[in-house]
Amino acid sequence: MELDDQQLVLACKQGNSDAFSLLVQRYQRRIFNLVYRMVQNYDEASEITQDAFLAAWQGLPAFRGDARFATWLYRIAYNCALRQLESRKRDTALHAALQAEAEHAYDVDDSQAITDKTLDAHERQEMVQEYLAHLPSKYRSVLILRHHLEMSYEEMAEILKMPVGTIKTHLFRARNLLKERLQGLYRDVSTETRG
Amino acid sequence: MRCTTAGKQLQLYSDGQLPLDAVRSLELHLAGCASCREELRMLEMVARDLDAPALIVEPENLHAQIMQRIAQVAEMQPAQKSFSPWRPSLVELLAAVLLATVATLGSILQQPTLRALLPIANGHDSLSLAFMRLVHMLTSMDSSTLALLLWISGTLLGVCITLACAGTEMRAQWFKAMMDRLPVR
Repeated sequence: MELDDQQLVLACKQGNSDAFSLLVQRYQRRIFNLVYRMVQNYDEASEITQDAFLAAWQGLPAFRGDARFATWLYRIAYNCALRQLESRKRDTALHAALQAEAEHAYDVDDSQAITDKTLDAHERQEMVQEYLAHLPSKYRSVLILRHHLEMSYEEMAEILKMPVGTIKTHLFRARNLLKERLQGLYRDVSTETRG
Repeated sequence: MRCTTAGKQLQLYSDGQLPLDAVRSLELHLAGCASCREELRMLEMVARDLDAPALIVEPENLHAQIMQRIAQVAEMQPAQKSFSPWRPSLVELLAAVLLATVATLGSILQQPTLRALLPIANGHDSLSLAFMRLVHMLTSMDSSTLALLLWISGTLLGVCITLACAGTEMRAQWFKAMMDRLPVR
């Protein structure tokens, strides 16, 4: 019989690392994906996932079970990823400024390019993911949690430690931002499907 | 319903988060407004394209690496578990020495005969005078100064208790926030 999270957490609190190993197996892919979508680097995502699970193991004695274990774990991973993004920003302030300029140029070029050619569904999805990677982290994180990890507003609010109202606002702005950037592309698809 | 109101509700509608009465009036508006219908269609396309990616496969040895790091931490933990009177850490040792020195000096300074044997605190030089003044201030403090000191130590104690109860994650965040604000590297 498969043990549920609560039973495994209880066993972990008594020092049973095999129980924690099962939890790692259960969540490593989703945690890795959350982190990877945030930091956009495979190796860094692997490191941060390890850090997150280690922090979870160390923090388990203090875990009171007010939230679900999964929510708590996602929050730890999200904070680890955010910390990495912040330190990356601090370390490479100049590089980031240059990159922002480059991105701006890329945005302009690309939005022009996508109006010039028709993309198939797969290419369009890739482009959306590409744009997603360049959104500010607060918008990127809500979209990742909602669309990639299929979380409810309430779960997202718990993980990001924000009121549900703020989650709605961030989602609204994030999608609008994406929609504005991809407007040309979607119009093409629209006229094509009608024509 | 106006288009601006409808525009604000479209995302909640496509997420299935809009209350039933609001759904009805929005659908009524959508039936007669082509631009809002187009807006909804675009939002749904964005959502569909975002939903698309399959989960990326994590590195093959990720699980092993995580468990290895946990084993390393578990091995280290018993060594730094608790205070031992037989093998104290350097900080604990220094704190004990400091406390013992203060206690010894305090009891010596209460005895004039013993005090006369000391090279300091005899009242003949400025250092001794300052030292004696400090001891005198500590032993004959007025109630307002005492209250202030108690308030400060109470606040510090409160912060320590809060941090102790807050858990590792919160402590780490608080420490990080403090370090970010300090003008040090």
